[in-house]
Amino acid sequence: MTGKRRLWATTAFAGAIAVASMAVSNAYHQQLLTVIGIHTLLALGLNMLMGYAGQISLGHAAFYGLGAYGTGILTTHYGWSPWAAFPLVLVAAGAVAYVIGRPTLKLSGYYLAMGTLGLGIIGHVIFREWDSMTGGASGMVGIPPLQVGGTVLSLGRSGMILVWVVVLMAFFFCDRLVDSRIGRALRALGDSQGAAAACGVDTGRLKAVIFSFSAVLTALAGFLYAHLVGFISPSSFDFLMSIRMVTMVVIGGMASIYGSLFGASVITLLPEWLHVFSDYEMMVYGLVLMLVMIFLPQGLTRGVLDALEGVKSES
Amino acid sequence: MADRTILHIDGVSKAFGGVQALYRVGFRVAKGHIQAVIGPNGAGKTTLFNVITGATCPDEGRIVLEGMEIQGRPMHELVARGIARTFQNVELFASLTVLENVLVGRHVRTRCGLVGAMVRWPWVEREERGARDAAMELLGFVGLEEVAHKMSGDLPFGWQRLVEIARALASDPRLLLLDEPAAGLNAVETAALADLIQKIRSRGITVVLVEHDMNLTMDISDRIVVLDRGRKLAEGTPREIQADEAVMEAYLGRKG
Amino acid sequence: MSEIVQYLMSGLTAGAIYAVIALGYTLLYNATELVNFAQGEFVMLGSLGLFTFLSVLGWPLWAAFPAVTLVVGLLGVVLERLAIRPVKKPEPITLIIITVGASIFLRGLAMLLWGKDPHSVPGFAAAAPIRVLGAAIMPQSLWILAVVGLLMGGLHLFSKHTLTGKAMEACAIHRSGAWILGIPSDRMAQLAFAMSAALGGIGGIIISPITMAGYDMGTMLGLKGFCAAMLGGLGSHWGAVVGGLLLGVLESLGVGFFSSGIKDAIAFLLLLAILMARPSGLLGPKAVTRF
Ligand SMILES: Nc1ncnc2c1ncn2[C@@H]1O[C@H](COP(=O)(O)OP(=O)(O)O)[C@@H](O)[C@H]1O
Ligand SMILES: [Mg+2]
Repeated sequence: MTGKRRLWATTAFAGAIAVASMAVSNAYHQQLLTVIGIHTLLALGLNMLMGYAGQISLGHAAFYGLGAYGTGILTTHYGWSPWAAFPLVLVAAGAVAYVIGRPTLKLSGYYLAMGTLGLGIIGHVIFREWDSMTGGASGMVGIPPLQVGGTVLSLGRSGMILVWVVVLMAFFFCDRLVDSRIGRALRALGDSQGAAAACGVDTGRLKAVIFSFSAVLTALAGFLYAHLVGFISPSSFDFLMSIRMVTMVVIGGMASIYGSLFGASVITLLPEWLHVFSDYEMMVYGLVLMLVMIFLPQGLTRGVLDALEGVKSES
Repeated sequence: MADRTILHIDGVSKAFGGVQALYRVGFRVAKGHIQAVIGPNGAGKTTLFNVITGATCPDEGRIVLEGMEIQGRPMHELVARGIARTFQNVELFASLTVLENVLVGRHVRTRCGLVGAMVRWPWVEREERGARDAAMELLGFVGLEEVAHKMSGDLPFGWQRLVEIARALASDPRLLLLDEPAAGLNAVETAALADLIQKIRSRGITVVLVEHDMNLTMDISDRIVVLDRGRKLAEGTPREIQADEAVMEAYLGRKG
Repeated sequence: MSEIVQYLMSGLTAGAIYAVIALGYTLLYNATELVNFAQGEFVMLGSLGLFTFLSVLGWPLWAAFPAVTLVVGLLGVVLERLAIRPVKKPEPITLIIITVGASIFLRGLAMLLWGKDPHSVPGFAAAAPIRVLGAAIMPQSLWILAVVGLLMGGLHLFSKHTLTGKAMEACAIHRSGAWILGIPSDRMAQLAFAMSAALGGIGGIIISPITMAGYDMGTMLGLKGFCAAMLGGLGSHWGAVVGGLLLGVLESLGVGFFSSGIKDAIAFLLLLAILMARPSGLLGPKAVTRF
């Protein structure tokens, strides 16, 4: 995207947020929008890895949980201010990802996937078993809300605005990232790893860097979730959550920043509209993943858009 | 001789399973020359390029770039040291524009990292502008300024080759390896390519050229190395090579 | 002393099962260069299938065992046919997402069919524990070791002494080369899927009396099987077995000397360590060249 289009998109998006923040006054809708915002951050984070580095993580819930539990433990057990915990949990997520990514990302895509699948499972085990710190299976309560100046940002209008402002910033910065030296190298990598390396791109390192970045965004979503909801439990950070993130990316489309918003909305709203959904949730995700990847490997929105464009240029 | 040598291939071997793609190949490339490497299909020419650029590690032998052994070094380091290449089957980044392709070639001459890309410090903006100017200059050099913003995959094949050369030049190489740059080009395009390669040399860049087109090779190269089934068969000036019986038989004879 | 024998024995038992699952990965990887993330679900289906045949349909074990193996093997063929073969550009990320999709689809289906609670499956031999060196050994352990030993021998004979087995190895060494020689790599892929799914199913069958059969048992077993395959160097049959046994024993000693909470962490830590230090496995060549 060029600078001008980016400015327009950002302005339009900011306008939409401003209008929504005033128009939506129903508490349930506010909550729903908040969750969609958090899920959008998750989808965006994973999409930076899947769409641009062509790699996949099956354990991103661990980074989500690291953000949430990290800040939860520091603020409730150690009395830290959330703003002091904030940089620490983000750095921790980035560091864990880098340590896992650096060796595995030199190999084929299967290794990061397996490594992160293991990480996700271990993360969930730790959240569930480390009773004294995490509250075990029943979870953690009483995580303090965020405060800016004298204003408490909690679930409701203020929380919704906070989340969407963060989403707006994430979009803005990711968009800039994609249109930069690093972003071009990433997209080049996705097209042809050999040619990218021949152009002097240190492919192993670049993939580890973007994996780290993706983990940081995911932990940021966890941080917001913990402080807005005030309560966290291990079931929000399990294997199925990791799969939910993958599904959001697959629906939203690979390497599509605004598609993340669409993928996150679908995955958040589906269970709300279809109450029987929870029984079939896994089967539906499974089918979606298989069908989309077999027939539209660029993801649902990208695939449909490409198909439409094909029809248009033919007629 | 030694101080005029930019690249010294010294007894390099490489086998894939039972196939000996290169066997104790050795020669020197002089600074400022156009050095051709010729030989029938499967002779090991592309493998030689892969070994020089660090895409594969040789089984034995040394590769010396300006007095420094480089075999087994990672590719990105070698690009930074001044080696650039093109591919036999053009490998452009299809989801990038022409200009962006050339900008990726500029990767090792720019510094901006993840945070810099998002914050866009003034120096990042300056660097980006500088890279764009350099890339546009190169597109002008190969004659493709006006398609800078097209998707690279939409260009005709001959132009894609030129974009790939511009991309390789963007890393400010001292040594440029071209793998069959005339393959798939028509006569007019090939003549233009010959000019271009000579213009590249006059920019002070040493060129190693793998090519099947005999006219092109004989016309523009200073020296020629002939490979056959992984071995060096002959080496000399174009005139010497044309007079060489063994080469005629193994390569030219077999062809025609 | 008796404690160590006890740990060793339970470690070998678990390890033998990891080895079977690892063999499934290895076989498939050799023939297709693909890692199937639904491998663990075949294990789960083996367990739940056995439960159904034994306890619901009332079949005897000698009939239920091969029937379940066959059904799970057929499921492998179905997976290959419907979800893998139609893929136009088989890149790792695409295949990972597809097999992960298959994995949770199967898990969701199993949850609907068999419910959320695990089912217990009777042991293969209803005898009392046998006392060896002061340790109590479950007859099921002996069963497991015997089945795994037989499988190993059979696989070895298959890949070294039958034409199909050799053809499969040839595919692994050079796919396009094998194709030129007239080896149908599509059929090989299908056979490999069938065999690797059946191996997973057998792993699930023999483990079910020990762990019970539940819809969500697959992920962990799949991951551990992969860890075992990696330990031994992905692609090597004997490596898979050694890796499985090693993982089982290390886990069991870890549980014995530290705590049971650490059990699942061991496989993961080993996996990470091996990915970082020697991605070609303990027994594999030094450098990974196949990727
Ligand atoms: N990655 C590889 N794996 C196996 N064999 C290879 C590989 N690369 C090249 N070869 C073999 O090495 C020989 C030389 O190939 P190459 O260098 O591409 O020849 P040329 O470029 O001169 O046509 C050929 O027999 C080719 O099949
Ligand atoms: Mg070649």
